[in-house]
Amino acid sequence: MKATSAVSSIDGGKTPEQLCTERARRIKDACQLKQPDRIPTILRFGHLTADLAGITRQEMYENPAAEQKATEDAALRFRPDMVMGGLGTPAVSRALGDRSTKWPGYGLGANGSFQYHEAEFMKAEEYDAFLDDPVDWAIRTYLPRVFGALEGLTMLPPLGNLLLGRAGLGEYLALIANPQVASAFQALSSAAQAQVEFIGNTMASMQRLAEAGFPPAPFFSGATLLAPFDFIGDTLRGMRGIFLDLRRCPDKLLAAQEKVIPFIIEAALATCRAKNAPWAFIPLHRGSDGFMSIQLFERFYWPQLKRVMLSLIDAGVTPFVIWEGNWDQRLEYLAELPNGKTVGAFQSSDIFKVKEILGDVMCIQGGMPVSMLAFATPGEIRDHTRRVCEVAGKGGGFIMTTDIAEMEGCDPALIEVWMDATREFGVY
Amino acid sequence: MSKGVEITKALADLDEERTLQLVGEALAEHVPGDEILQACQEGMNQVGARFECQDYFVSDLIMSGEIFKQVGAILEPHLKVGGTASLGKVVVGTVKGDIHDIGKDIVVNMLKSAGFEVIDLGVDVPVARFVDALKESGATVLGLSGLLTLAFDSMKETIKAVAAAGIRDKVRIMVGGGPVDGNVCKAVGADDWGASAQHAVRLAKEWTQTAAA
Repeated sequence: MKATSAVSSIDGGKTPEQLCTERARRIKDACQLKQPDRIPTILRFGHLTADLAGITRQEMYENPAAEQKATEDAALRFRPDMVMGGLGTPAVSRALGDRSTKWPGYGLGANGSFQYHEAEFMKAEEYDAFLDDPVDWAIRTYLPRVFGALEGLTMLPPLGNLLLGRAGLGEYLALIANPQVASAFQALSSAAQAQVEFIGNTMASMQRLAEAGFPPAPFFSGATLLAPFDFIGDTLRGMRGIFLDLRRCPDKLLAAQEKVIPFIIEAALATCRAKNAPWAFIPLHRGSDGFMSIQLFERFYWPQLKRVMLSLIDAGVTPFVIWEGNWDQRLEYLAELPNGKTVGAFQSSDIFKVKEILGDVMCIQGGMPVSMLAFATPGEIRDHTRRVCEVAGKGGGFIMTTDIAEMEGCDPALIEVWMDATREFGVY
Repeated sequence: MSKGVEITKALADLDEERTLQLVGEALAEHVPGDEILQACQEGMNQVGARFECQDYFVSDLIMSGEIFKQVGAILEPHLKVGGTASLGKVVVGTVKGDIHDIGKDIVVNMLKSAGFEVIDLGVDVPVARFVDALKESGATVLGLSGLLTLAFDSMKETIKAVAAAGIRDKVRIMVGGGPVDGNVCKAVGADDWGASAQHAVRLAKEWTQTAAA
């Protein structure tokens, strides 16, 4: 790999259209384990764009035009190959009285950071009801518990009664006319409008970024799903709850995972078909080193996740997995995945070990800890970048990015050092 | 006391049913509550040690905390009024803007079972509340927890406020949580940082013993 001295002239004289095409190609090559012209870079800004633009986080979420400008300015300043921004919209949570998330302006101050409020939305004693009829439990018990505006749904009789056809429908209709139940459907309708508006804004934003030279990220274009263990743990039992279940009711936990695996796969494939986008985004939460022993991992986490991923791959979908936390002790399991069929982003794992064990298996994203971009010296950043380029970037199949999808607190001057260093040391 | 050894082992092995059964039996046999508590504390020490050498993991710490909490509730009416002298007072909380609590709760449990009096301020704790709690309790150790990168600023602000209140030299401060490392510790002005709950206990013991010496 040769170091080029004239980093500022890289891409000089090219039109945004040319740049967009080249950048998309660079990312695609890396995803397919090929060696592009140079190591591609992705910036996952998170809330940083608001801070750089001098607007509050709340404004960033509620003012799409301001958010678009802030993202575009940041992209033009740092010149990555791709930008991944945005965390969704609080408007949907607001419309539904969501108790499971907090956003700037909804449960947090104007400059707070989006967070999940993890609670035991499903009690341990409810496994039986869940296993018996998860869909009925979801609609009449779970949704009203998580979303304040949907409490009226508890008034619906067992949904199986709908199978009575006209005879069963009468009762439902009378209840739906009840103001409490009707307001639940109205809330869903408002939330749907908010979601559609958000999708429209996102598409428009991606279009404008493309016109500025930055191709849209394919990774989130399709479905989003969780590992079966995280499906039960994140928003149903909570972390405390599911960890106690490992010891108190392991068989029910296993049965619950078996119950939800078909939904997970079918829903993901349906979404991919509807959006014509064969990508499945899978953020992982509790499978990393430190949460449970390898024995428990082998019984409760890995086989279920692997089965889901293989089903998606068989159907022609590419999983983009964020292996959150540290997976150093589990990398051999990841090596069981079919070569070239997945893309993996790594947080605290040793990126050099990841390359060694998984370099032929998956495209690897990662390399720069945000704590370095906040606190290190320019010299340290250059040295680290050089090493990552030379070792993790060797042979291609590598994309340089931060360890997490949130760059708040990073020093813009250090980001520039990092980006320049990657352009310098990342040429093949 | 072989019952105590059995209790220690049951808790260390995370056998919830057996631990609670043995505790009940010990009480029925009129074993003093404080002795039973000590056996449980020894069990928690062993849990911490197994976590350090990576035989146990976060899920196991949560289970142990759950057992210890139940035991604590059962034993409370049977403990000597005034209790045994604590190793010292520690104020713990998750900093302003951050609502993550599980890591903090594990540290709180570990510190309590190690014999510290812990003032747990909860989550999203305003800077001033930390300072007030330190002043009111006279605690000499402060533990700040945070999982978000935004927590770094809150940690920095909290530590600055402790200094502004004129008590920085009386309090040793540790920081912890997912993204916390040596860089963060230095940047926010803490005295040390821990990657594990047991580390927090070690630091607290070191600091209170040095102060007492």
